[in-house]
Amino acid sequence: MAMMVLDVDPKADSGFPCWNPVRRRFAPESPFFESGNIERELLAKQIALDLGEEEKHQLWRLLDDDCKDLFCPIVGCRARLTSLENFENHYNSQHAAACSVCYKVYPTSRLLSIHISEAHDSFFQAKVARGYPMYECLVEGCGLKFKSYKSRQRHLVDKHNFPTSYDFFKNKAAHHPSKKAREKKIHRKQAATTHKHEEDEEEEGTTSQKMDVEGEASVDSLTSALSNLTTGSTPSSVSFGRRNPRGLTFVPRSVHQRNNKKPEDSTPPP
Amino acid sequence: MSTMAEDGFASHKRDPVKSSVGGVASQKRRQHAVAVRKERRESLVRAKRLCRVGSSGDDADTPLNNAMMVDEEESVLDAQAAAAVEELKSAVANQGKGAMQKVVGALRELRRVLSRTEFPPIEAALEAGAMPLLVHCLAFGSPDEQLLEAAWCLTNIAAGKPEETKALVPALPLLIAHLGEKSSSPVAEQCAWALGNVAGEGEELRNVLLSQGVLLPLARMMLPSKGSTVRTAAWALSNLIKGPDPKAATNLIRVDGILDAITRHLRKADEELATEVAWITVYLSALSNLATAMLVKSNVHELLLHRLATSTSLQLLIPLLRSLGNLVAGDSQTTSAIFMPGQEITGKCDNKYNIIGVLTKCLKSEHRVLKKEAAWVLSNVAAGSVEHKQLIYKSEAVIPLLLHLLSTAAFDVRKEVAYTIGNLCVAAASEQDSGRLSLILDHLVFLVEKGCLPGFIDLIRSADTEAAKLGLQFMEMVLRGMPNGEGPKLVEREDGIEAMERFQFHENEDLRNMANGLVDRYFGEDYGLDR
Repeated sequence: MAMMVLDVDPKADSGFPCWNPVRRRFAPESPFFESGNIERELLAKQIALDLGEEEKHQLWRLLDDDCKDLFCPIVGCRARLTSLENFENHYNSQHAAACSVCYKVYPTSRLLSIHISEAHDSFFQAKVARGYPMYECLVEGCGLKFKSYKSRQRHLVDKHNFPTSYDFFKNKAAHHPSKKAREKKIHRKQAATTHKHEEDEEEEGTTSQKMDVEGEASVDSLTSALSNLTTGSTPSSVSFGRRNPRGLTFVPRSVHQRNNKKPEDSTPPP
Repeated sequence: MSTMAEDGFASHKRDPVKSSVGGVASQKRRQHAVAVRKERRESLVRAKRLCRVGSSGDDADTPLNNAMMVDEEESVLDAQAAAAVEELKSAVANQGKGAMQKVVGALRELRRVLSRTEFPPIEAALEAGAMPLLVHCLAFGSPDEQLLEAAWCLTNIAAGKPEETKALVPALPLLIAHLGEKSSSPVAEQCAWALGNVAGEGEELRNVLLSQGVLLPLARMMLPSKGSTVRTAAWALSNLIKGPDPKAATNLIRVDGILDAITRHLRKADEELATEVAWITVYLSALSNLATAMLVKSNVHELLLHRLATSTSLQLLIPLLRSLGNLVAGDSQTTSAIFMPGQEITGKCDNKYNIIGVLTKCLKSEHRVLKKEAAWVLSNVAAGSVEHKQLIYKSEAVIPLLLHLLSTAAFDVRKEVAYTIGNLCVAAASEQDSGRLSLILDHLVFLVEKGCLPGFIDLIRSADTEAAKLGLQFMEMVLRGMPNGEGPKLVEREDGIEAMERFQFHENEDLRNMANGLVDRYFGEDYGLDR
């Protein structure tokens, strides 16, 4: 196995294990050499048994499929992966729930729906302003609700042992939205007069997020769908059939490389 | 004359009955076919080899075709095996005139039954009591023909399932004895083949054989310059020393004349023999420090490089490359001996006989195994001194090739290429610098400009923890090292932030912390404000 020594570089005070170039050595029976060993035996018997190219390929496919012990690394998933090449498919179909407004991606439908309520729903904000506990605990089954983002955060740390640095809903989309979000924003700015909607994030001390809510034809259908949202439901209506922007990785790599130069980004003003 | 409709009706009525019978049978056949396929696949990747044609070539039975066997054929063979064993039993018991001929005849028949197809009726033969008879037939003084046929039967029995191979235990000392220099060549070779199969079964049997003294006589069989016996002995030896216990490898290199034989074969032998010998060097270089030192002292690496540069046989290239890889991955003393300073570095970088040229050739191969292991070796070269890194960096052929592979090759190849590229960008911690790592900015900037970043970000998204870590570590170098604060912009452009955000829900805490740490440090609240 590769050994990356923890960096003692004073610059990396965060404790990040920086890349350390070391020679990697493997024992003969290491799984690293397995494919070469199998090739040895197949080649040796190929002559004796007249294995055709097609048959050899079939055998390789069968062996590749024996991808034992490979599981999805997302917390709580436990799905067995048939191959590393298939992980992306699995991830995008099972774990990527994309917000159709800001394109932020969540690993479960539940988290997505919570995000939509908290980030894009003016009714949600109205209720918060009137003092209702609206911020749900993120742990499924807990059921508790809180009056502020901060108090929910505190609850996660105190009761559910979340690390303090954890900020599931820190809306990074505000600071650097995905390319698609930026492109859409530019388009929207040109298409309609915008109306800035302030998101309540003062408690966090972060700059407020500006989201275009009006001028978006789908918002009405979005809010009506939202009022029907309950925890745990599958809000397939929310995604509006729009694909995860990361769907681009499905493109064969050679093509992907060619259309790589993105237009100059424009980060939204604070 | 019945009308079409009537016919249709009639046949429709009949079919359900027919198909249900056919259904059961065809389902059984399918299940059997799946089981046979699985067994076939396993037998093909097992390190044991069936002997189906004699080394002399004559008396070769026309082997049945290799199509998947059906029940009926199997039971026919089983019956034949049992019958042959019975015949042998009575021949052995017979004391009269011509007894010896009868024994040889019976053995030959049993051997034929055991060589006809890919899945010999081993179990049936053993159940009928073949083993004690075969052991008896190996007695000293027996005629060569008898020894040969008995050893051949044992070879094919040993090529089967683990419990079948283990059945040979009573025969082992005799097989070893017949390796002696007084034995006729075909007999010794057939015994070596049987022993090779036994050794290929597993560590336990290997240790039994070694304790019974198999190493020395088998090693001596490798000393001549050519012949099929040399090749079979080499193959059997490779199975014997593969470890994980390094003792056998170390003992082998100590045998008088072996080192010379190994280098001689690597230099001059035909590709088939060179292949088996190359596998021996794989295990020697992986397991035994003594062997490694002796091999390097005899300049075996030069031979490896030369063969690698000139051969096109995948079978040979794999063990040559791996031997080279094991040498390069060794301690620094070994590695410096391989890179003769001065000659390698000041010589032309793209010389096809030097290590970079050879690895380039393997990277260009269509075979995934060669690409992967070549990239591994190259990554170890890149993990060396700054001069070694420059050797790679300056090669006109290698860098574009690595970049291409990073975005297009199979996953396991991409991972090794990533190691190589990353190793090129940073110099190892040296004692003088109080353990600090220093980025080699020239290399980093150049490689990033050439578009290597998307490949690393792809690795971040992979399910493989090691690959994801590599991606994050490379990203950290980019974020920290790219001049003019370009790093974060570049990373964002390639969707690096989204890739890192995936780790919020990842079960691996180290990766979560690494990703979060980078996002917090480089894409925190201040990001975008200083535009």
